[in-house]
This record gives sequence, C-alpha cells and structure tokens, in this order.
Amino acid sequence: MSLTSLGIIRGFIGQIIGTLAGLALVILLRLALGIAPVWQPELTWVIAILTGAVGFLVGVGAVTDWFKWMVGIETPLHHGPPVGKPAWTRYFSVDYNHKIIGIQYTVTAIVMLCIGGAFAVIFRTELARSGFQFLNANEYNTILGLHGWAALFAIFIGIGGLANYLVPLMIGADDMAFPRLNAFAYWINVPAIVYLLMSLFFGGWDAGWTIYPPLSIKAPMGIQFVLLAVFLLGFSSILGSLNLIATMLMMRPKGMSLFRMPIFCWAVLSASLIQLTATQFIAQVFLMVSFERTLGMGFFDPAAGGTPILFQHLFWFYSHPAVYVWVLPGLGVISEILPVFARKPLFGYRWIALSSLAIALVGFLVWGHHMFTSGYAPYLRVPFMLATLLVAVPTGVKFFSWLGTLWGGKLSFETPMLFTLGAISVFLIGGLSGPPLATVTSDLNLHDSYFVVGHFHATIFGGFTFPFVAALYFWYPKVTGRMYNEGLGKLHFWIMTPAFWMMSLGQMSVGVMGMRRRIADYDPLLGNGHIQAVQMVVTLSAFLIAFSILLMIFNFFHSAEMGRVAGNNPWRSRSPEWQIPSPVPEHSFANPIQVVGEPYDYGLPGSTYITMAPVAGDD
Amino acid sequence: MHRSSNDRQHFIRVGVLIIISTILMTWMLKLALPLPTKASAQAFTVDRVLDVHIVLISFFFSLVVVFMLYSLVVFRRRAGDTGEGEHFEGNTALEIVWTVVPLIVVLFLGYLGVRTLNTIVAPQPDEITVDVKGFQWAWTFDYPEGGFTSPELVLPVNQPAVMEMTATDVLHSFWVPEFRVKQDLVPGQTTHVRFTPVEVGEYKLRCAELCGLTHWNMLATVRVVPQDEYDAWMTEQAAKADTAVAGVVDEHVSD
Repeated sequence: MSLTSLGIIRGFIGQIIGTLAGLALVILLRLALGIAPVWQPELTWVIAILTGAVGFLVGVGAVTDWFKWMVGIETPLHHGPPVGKPAWTRYFSVDYNHKIIGIQYTVTAIVMLCIGGAFAVIFRTELARSGFQFLNANEYNTILGLHGWAALFAIFIGIGGLANYLVPLMIGADDMAFPRLNAFAYWINVPAIVYLLMSLFFGGWDAGWTIYPPLSIKAPMGIQFVLLAVFLLGFSSILGSLNLIATMLMMRPKGMSLFRMPIFCWAVLSASLIQLTATQFIAQVFLMVSFERTLGMGFFDPAAGGTPILFQHLFWFYSHPAVYVWVLPGLGVISEILPVFARKPLFGYRWIALSSLAIALVGFLVWGHHMFTSGYAPYLRVPFMLATLLVAVPTGVKFFSWLGTLWGGKLSFETPMLFTLGAISVFLIGGLSGPPLATVTSDLNLHDSYFVVGHFHATIFGGFTFPFVAALYFWYPKVTGRMYNEGLGKLHFWIMTPAFWMMSLGQMSVGVMGMRRRIADYDPLLGNGHIQAVQMVVTLSAFLIAFSILLMIFNFFHSAEMGRVAGNNPWRSRSPEWQIPSPVPEHSFANPIQVVGEPYDYGLPGSTYITMAPVAGDD
Repeated sequence: MHRSSNDRQHFIRVGVLIIISTILMTWMLKLALPLPTKASAQAFTVDRVLDVHIVLISFFFSLVVVFMLYSLVVFRRRAGDTGEGEHFEGNTALEIVWTVVPLIVVLFLGYLGVRTLNTIVAPQPDEITVDVKGFQWAWTFDYPEGGFTSPELVLPVNQPAVMEMTATDVLHSFWVPEFRVKQDLVPGQTTHVRFTPVEVGEYKLRCAELCGLTHWNMLATVRVVPQDEYDAWMTEQAAKADTAVAGVVDEHVSD
C-alpha cells in the first residue's frame, strides 16, 4: 500500500501544489504587469493560502463527487471500508459514513486540545515566576494567541465530533442528511489547522485571539494565516450546522416528536441555529481585517478613516453567541448522562430543552458586555447589562433541573458520571463568576483582568471540556466495543477536577489583586507579594490537568486492545444508540426504529422508548 | 433505613447546611479575592457591589453544591442494588419558582448596577482635567491649567478628577487597580474616566488592553498628594515648562 493511497497525504500534496501555484500566480502577474516590487509577501501569501486550501480539498477528494456530477457521472454512496485497502485507512481518507466522520472530528479535536494545552503549559511555565524566564515578549504574545485559537478549534471540532457521531444514532437515522457535505465540512478543517500553526513561522502575532484593530492591522504577517484559518473553520461551522439541522428536522423516526428527541439533540439544535446564522459575522470581520491589511481598505484604522470600535461590535456579535455554541452541546451531554447514572427521568425535560433555545436567542442580545469599557455610547451599557444578567435565568433552570434529576435517584459513580458531576461544579464556578462581570459597576474594575480569564476558563471547561471528557468515557464502549480502564478513568477525574478548581480560583484571585490578562510579565508586589505563590499554584494546576489528559489518552489507546468487551448496553441506557451492537455496524439500524414512549422514563415499569421492527424473516 | 425523597427531614438538613455553607463561602471568597486598598471614592461603591455579588455567589453556590453533595451521599446506589430511582418527571410549580426567583435576583442586580453606575460616572463640580495620551508603550499627562506635560500623573487628594483620554496608535486602557475604574483609550476618539482620589500614596497606572510587544510594561506612576504639595508641584512644573519654552525661544533668537 502506498502512502498516497491515504486521502490526507494526497490532500497535503494538493495543498503544497496549490500554495506554490498561488505564489507563482501572483509573482507572475506582477511581473507581467510590471508592478514593483514583484515580491509583496503578504498579498502573495494570502492568495497562496486560499489556493492551498482549494488544493487540499481537491487532493483529499472532498469535492470529487460534485465535480463528477457536473459532468454527468453518477456516484452512488459507497458503504464499508475502501476496496483493496486496510480498514483503518478510511479514517485518513474521505469517507461519507457519519460515524467515521464523527471519529475523525473527535480525534482531531483531541489532537488540537493537546496542542492548545501545550501552548498554555508553555506560557504558564513562564508565568510561574515573575520576570522573564525563557520566552521573550513576542513569543509570549504569539503563544498566548495560538493557545486561544488552537483551543477554540479543538472545541468547534470536538462539538462536530459529538454531534456527527451521536445525532444520527440518537434519532435512528441511517446517516446525516448530506453525507458529502458532511465530509467536506470536516476536511476543510485540516488545511485550516495547518495555516493556524504556520502563523508561528511568519512572525507570529501579538493581538491575542480577539485581534482587536488597530493593533491587528499593525501586527506581523502571521496574523493573516490566523484570519484565513478562522475563515475556513467558519465554513465548516456553517455547513456542519446546516447538515445537523436538516438531519434533526427531517430524518426523525415515526413517533419522535421534537419533545421526544434525546435531550442532547436539543442542545445541538440550539447551537447549530447560532452557528448557521452568526458565523458569517466573524467571517466578514476577519476578512475585513485581511482586506485592510492587504488592500489598504480603511475599515478600522482611524488613520485611514476607519473606526476601531466597529470591529468589536461585529466580532462580538458572533463571538458571544459562539460561547453558547461551545457550551450548549456540553450542557446537553450533562443532561444526557445524569439520568442514566441516577436511574431516574430527566427532571423537567421540556424546561431544559427550551432553556437551551432561550440561551441561544438571548445570547444574540448581549455582545455589548464585552465592550463596557470600550468607549461606545455610555447608555448602551445599561441594556447590555440587563440582557446579560437575563442569561442567568435559563442557565439556572438547567442547574436546578439537574439537581431534581439527582434527587431521589440511585446514583452510581462510574467515570462518565464523575466527569458529569465535575462539569456541573466547574460550570457553576464559571456561571456564578459571570454576574460580577455583567454588572457594569463591578466590571469596570474586573474587565480585562485575570478574573476574566478565570471566569472564561471555568465556563468553557465546565461547559465543554469536562462534558466532552465525560462523553468520551461514556460513548467509548459504543465506539470501540470495549470498556476503558475504570481505575485510570477515576484517577484522571481525581487529578483533573481538584486541579481545575485550584486553577480557577487562583486565576480569579490574581485578577482581583490587579493582574491584567495577556501580560508577559507581572508585578511581583501585587496582592502584598502573595501573587507569586498563587501564580505557582495556577501553573502547577495546569501541569496536573495536562498530565491527566495524557492519562486519558493512554487509557483509550490501551483499552482499545486490552479492555474487556463492553456489550451492547453497559450503562443500561434507553437511548437508541445503546440498543444496537457495539461497535456500531456499518448500517447502524438493521431496521427502522419507532418511538413509543418518553426518552427518560427510568423507573417506570413496563415503559419503553423505542421499538425496532423485527428483522425480515425473523418472525 | 431509607427515606422517601420528599421526606421533610432531607430539606431541613439541606437548608441548615446551605446556611452554614453560605457563611463559610462568603468568608473564604473574601480571603481568596484580596482587593487592593480603596484609593478613590468610586472604589467604595464598586467594592460594595462586588460584596453583594460575593454573598449571592456564596448562596447560589451553596444551594447547588449542598443539594448535589447531599444527593450523592443519601441517594447513592447501595451495593448489589440494581433497582431504579424514584419515578418523577418534573414539577411545573418548582420550575416556575426557580425561573421567577432568579429573574427577580438579576433584575435587582441590574437595578443595583444602574444606580451605582450613575453614582460613579456622575460629573462633579471643580473637577481637575488631565489630558491623557496613551501610545506604544507609555503614557503622557497634559495639564491644560499649567500648560505642561508630565510623564507621571499627580493629583491632589479628595479632589474630583476627569481624564480626557486618547490614543495615538492602538487601543490602550486606563486602569489603576486601587481606583477600581477602567476606560479604554481609542485612537481617533476622546474617552473619559472620572474618579476622586481619597488616599495619599503612590500607585501604578497599568494598561489593561493588549497593545502589542511590551503591553505588560506599559505603566505610569500615579501620585496622590495633599493639596499644598500638589500646588507646589504645579508651580514647579509650569516654571520648568516656561524655562524650556524660553530656552527654545532663546535658541531661536541666538540662531
């Protein structure tokens, strides 16, 4: 078997060819037209990035079927492993099965989580002590921004993984509505990741993940790679969410009304509505920065007639709702897992479902809380403060409903349940540290301090990372057919969770002392000199979290070979995906399913959620 | 002996634990969040609002965590028990309560926010105006009254001050943690921040908006001094500025 039979290798070759073609195109055009200088690096690279991305998609084969259709060649969906190649190669090539795509997304997300986490560990080591240890200010700023975007890539891609794998299984569908679009939406992430990381080698950039102009207009060229990487990632978001919405609205089985979907689907539906309608804003505003840098259009730099605050409005109009894209699916995972280990119905199903929708909708009205100190018209602070505080209400509904689910149950504490409870505790820290930032008066002090860093990380770890880890442990036996090692899983939990609590509290503490966010070095005298000790605690916690994640990855690799066979339904769940074999066969459901009851009626004698039509000839 | 989940005993115990936990949490959070000295009149208002938040955070944190931990202990599955939990699917009255009560709490926070915001941003009579310029990576302070520019911000104690601020290159942000207020400096635009220093001392102005390479080190000294010292400093600086101007004029003449 040659290497080029792997789609991803062909993709990278295509990307290199596309990039070189783009570089050559601009240089030759400038030569031909007599424009000096012939080598204008930034403009040339922008074109090369775009042609390189196209080259990747062509090379990997994500657009092959569409081109064939254009010339009238029919391409029936191929099922099963590729002909004449080992089965594992399908994970590295274009495959239209949603379970393969889901695993591709999830593994990519874990890789990005490690990369993003590694950047964090690097600069947290620098911050363990005051003074410059081994990074200079430019390296610090670049790694800081890269940590942000690498971690955000991990989150978007991780959500794509959970949603792609689980949603069709949960609604008993054979696949996603648009399998080819699904593969395209995954593969476009790969060149995006390559460009994001390439920014390191083109001068880096010093404007953080929020890239506020005018600083981002003046930043080194590395920022162009980030701008376009995010643009490509946005493509994936829009197409993926479109696919998920279509799948959930059109492909549910008989009897599954919206209020009888597994609750995770509601969370994905709410998040997808945001992704489908808001991603365009960040795509637009990042393109505007790119245009301003390469073509000199004065959108944001006042020296060229622009206004810096316009960027912030456009950026946050997407980026605040995006926070709910990151956390809603995770909160859905919490609601999905709790009833299984409590052996009780999900308390207030409809309230939880609608609270996701409410958070998604109110989320569109709160972007201005990132801008209380920005210098926009002062009266705007009041409506944005009120709208932001309102988000606490549907979020509270979720917390209280989770407590209602636990109350009176028969709780057991396997690793997925532990991480679910950990997620609740961490998201609680994130949620409760929100109101002091939403209230303008206290925000005027805390804004842009390390307190915000603490709040944000607690929100995202509680809303994404902990539930994501819970989901990995929970569905691992479904995906692999084997059980992970329970002892190692519990060890992972008992390292990561207390470490995270310490980190969170430490970050908020140094913020209150007066430490600003995004600084390469800090004043050792803050907090009457206590800041150094707290910084050390935060750094050590970061190391512990990183170590525990490696433990998880080891566990998963080890158990894939050595784990005991899990069986179809080790958790005694009622959800459709647990009623079929593990690992899930190529065609998930041998026969269509029908919904005949409520999804979470644990403890109601004689109730069932779904029935499967008997296999033909089985009677 | 197993109790039903709606036994009143459970709720009495949880209630008592929540009260104890709220008090402990409030005390611990105050320890874990050590605010610097309050050196402006605004700081007292801002910290009062934060105090209200800390009490509410402690209460809601305790409410959720105590209920959760209590459930984990009391409703844990006993060894060998493979039965299911109690079957109840929800409670509309409860859902309405825990929608409406938080709604009232956040509306109260909103009201508190608006009231206190109005207090701390209100213009005062007899304000000292200083024109602040931020640029990569330093600050200057123009005193229009004295007609001079200073690299440090000097203000008389107990006298309201307003900063008229602008940036010449990228965004910056004015933050003296001891004053508790913050405002971005925006190129092409003038922004304001008001405060009344109430404690004599030396503080640091720290740029709070990422502004590039040495953002971490974009600092300036802020000195709050008694009125007479301030007057003396103003006279001295103005005189220096005059000599400097005179010097420039002299040079031109001698050319």
